[in-house]
Amino acid sequence: MILDVKGVDVNYGKVAAVRNVSFSVSKGSIVALIGANGAGKSTILKTISGLEPCNAGEISFQGQRINGLSPQEIVKQGISHVPEGRRLFPEMTVGENLSMGAYLRKWGGDTKNDLDAIFEYFPVLKQRIRQKAGSLSGGEQQMVAIGRALMSSPKLLLLDEPSTGLSPIMSQTIAKIIRVINEKQVSILLVEQNANLALTIADSGYVLETGSVVLEGNAQQLLKDEAVKSAYLGI
Amino acid sequence: MEWSLLAQGGLNGVMLGVNYALIALGLTLIFGILGIVNFTHGEMYMLGGYVAYYFFGHFGLNFFATLALSAVLVGALGVILEKFIFRPLTKRPKLELTSLIAAVGLAWVFQMLAIIAFGDLDKNVPSAFKGILRMSGVVITVERLATIIIGLCLVVLLNVFLLKSKTGMTIRAVAQDKEAAALQGVSVDRITALTFGIGCGLAAISGALIAPIFGISPNMGGEVILKAFLVVILGGMGSVPGAMLGGLVLGFVESFGCLFFSVPTVMVLTFSIIILILILKPKGLLGHA
Ligand SMILES: Nc1ncnc2c1ncn2[C@@H]1O[C@H](COP(=O)(O)OP(=O)(O)OP(=O)(O)O)[C@@H](O)[C@H]1O
Ligand SMILES: [Mg+2]
Repeated sequence: MILDVKGVDVNYGKVAAVRNVSFSVSKGSIVALIGANGAGKSTILKTISGLEPCNAGEISFQGQRINGLSPQEIVKQGISHVPEGRRLFPEMTVGENLSMGAYLRKWGGDTKNDLDAIFEYFPVLKQRIRQKAGSLSGGEQQMVAIGRALMSSPKLLLLDEPSTGLSPIMSQTIAKIIRVINEKQVSILLVEQNANLALTIADSGYVLETGSVVLEGNAQQLLKDEAVKSAYLGI
Repeated sequence: MEWSLLAQGGLNGVMLGVNYALIALGLTLIFGILGIVNFTHGEMYMLGGYVAYYFFGHFGLNFFATLALSAVLVGALGVILEKFIFRPLTKRPKLELTSLIAAVGLAWVFQMLAIIAFGDLDKNVPSAFKGILRMSGVVITVERLATIIIGLCLVVLLNVFLLKSKTGMTIRAVAQDKEAAALQGVSVDRITALTFGIGCGLAAISGALIAPIFGISPNMGGEVILKAFLVVILGGMGSVPGAMLGGLVLGFVESFGCLFFSVPTVMVLTFSIIILILILKPKGLLGHA
């Protein structure tokens, strides 16, 4: 297991957002986390990357406990988080956004290779390199957000709703790239409202309802599950 | 009106404008990153003036070394203020007003401490540059010319730092999205403290730079903070190019105004022009919508 989440609670003030959540991501896999608005998906990702403290439970990465570490230390260990809504630096160029992703690394051969790989995934970004990130289309912005996260050369990528606001075709493109990234030994925890898309590319999945895991299993099984179908696939 | 008088007014306008821009740049950087108006900014400017008075005027330190020293000393003070006063206040949501009041109170404390420590009389700082330049009827002291050049160099340096260096890029990133910056591995607290220090250091340098020309007093920061605040709003809150443009506009309006009208009339004129600009462009000249 590259990531192990055990019995985690997260509260915002007195309000419990996540309750006793446990799940794991095995090395090299794609795990989907699906659930309705407000289920606590983003909160879980923020807790893993150290933006929110967890009130109970334990999160371990490659067998080492990481809850309680700062976001900086967690990035250093190899976790990269693409936040909901992309959260680019809008007044900065695409190139600057990408180099911010490599903030903790020395610029050199390795980072240049990573940058080339990103341009291979998203050729359009090469033409946009000097353009302000805020002026890009939604799909291009998502590409920059994923590229920025890859610039830290992560072992685990946390993706929060990468398909939101994108056209079906653009969503498919992003989904394809997620698989390509995964084939290069990057484990992926994918949060989606688009359960169909997420479960199609994932190996396993967890369904979250009001802060708790209510269903888990193999992605193919979940796609066929009657309860999942009616609640999240609109079938 | 003779053209030489206009040229004179223009040069004075540039000098005032560069000085306002320097102070406003610090203020706008701090606003951009902390979301608060640093009302102690004028006092950092005043302290810069006193550093020049003691270290350059009394101890005979080289003027350029004095400028650097003022930035370092007052910059360090800024880092301490940020860490122990502003950070605890801004960390709690919905306390913007509280931190504003804390800053205003702190400004008073610094002014009163300055009166206690340095006395409340105006003081003169000797001129660092001697001589007069005459060019086709335009007379300018070397001192004023040097002040313009040093100020412009500082503005250019700050821009190069913000646009080209990794730390400068990180400051811009934190100003645009703290959480996203943290996710890239930035220690947001450290960058915030550094930015506060740089902003205060800039105010101190402009105070030290202008001290030989205007003299110093414990309350010299009061008027300047209002003008710097005006420049920041005029240029667009948080905008670096806006602070530079706003500074120059205010400098020119004041300087040329004084050629034709009395000082109170100029003040009325200045504020009317600024209010007019803000009615037309509520986000300031270069502010973002
Ligand atoms: N900063 C916050 N302060 C207080 N409550 C919050 C905060 N962020 C989220 N919450 C609450 O926590 C719960 C979980 O929110 P979260 O954003 O994790 O849900 P989500 O599953 O990501 O939803 P969505 O699909 O809309 O993104 C919600 O009830 C939300 O209102
Ligand atoms: Mg969410």
